[in-house]
Amino acid sequence: MSVDPEGKKILVIQTHGVETPNRTYSPLFYAMAAAAMEMEVLVWFTMDGTNQLKKGAAEQVELKPGSGVTLKTMLENAMESEVELRVCQQSLELFDMTTDDLIDGVDILGATSIIDLALNADHVMYF
Amino acid sequence: MSDNLEVRGCVLPLSLHYSVGDHTWIRLEDDGTALIGMTDVAQNLAGPLLHAKPKKVGATRKKGKPVATVESSKWVGPVKSPISGEVVAVNEDVKTDPTVINRSPYKQGWIVRMQPSDLAADMDGLLTGQAAVDAYRERIESEDIKACEHVDGFEI
Repeated sequence: MSVDPEGKKILVIQTHGVETPNRTYSPLFYAMAAAAMEMEVLVWFTMDGTNQLKKGAAEQVELKPGSGVTLKTMLENAMESEVELRVCQQSLELFDMTTDDLIDGVDILGATSIIDLALNADHVMYF
Repeated sequence: MSDNLEVRGCVLPLSLHYSVGDHTWIRLEDDGTALIGMTDVAQNLAGPLLHAKPKKVGATRKKGKPVATVESSKWVGPVKSPISGEVVAVNEDVKTDPTVINRSPYKQGWIVRMQPSDLAADMDGLLTGQAAVDAYRERIESEDIKACEHVDGFEI
């Protein structure tokens, strides 16, 4: 019997950054799909994933040559789809980034928050 | 006088009612039900559709809630219902061949049939005729939405 997705919570953890562009598209796409299915969706960026959210970075990543679709497009589409974006506080510091370096629409949370989010999610997807 | 008008090549039948903000249309049927689908603008924005997953028969939806999820290679999102009601029929063709929505967004590509629960109130927020075309033109121009391109066999 299939699970009714409506109202379920999905946590997507993204650990890869702009240096591996092929790994940036699918997590956001799946997040948008879950949001379209009326789930509550949060994408947590940590480790190298942090750099996806740096101002000026995402627009440099064209996901498929000639497509005109950039990582910036995907991030904006995700936020428009009511996918919440969060970044790890400790990862920011590790990469010498501050709040001012982040694109708009991203909240910063500490490490203990990821534990809470994972415990309270219906499902966690790791990338 | 034509039954349809175009904005940047995107066809908008004058007889339908539209939720311009959600890119959906509704056709009121003689039996009191309503057919719901995506507009030509929406299908063009999405690109060739790969999957369409309507809600099941019996699902009750409030206005603005999804009646389907559609996917292309570059976009995935909800088809939001312009009205509140119950899904009484699903177009099985869109599940087996989602490109029917690209090819015939207003005819063969209808997505669900609903039994409205509060039609008078819900229709109040929808536009039809020239008013709908004008509102869509404003949206298309303000968002610089690209001109519609149509696949072979496109029909209104």
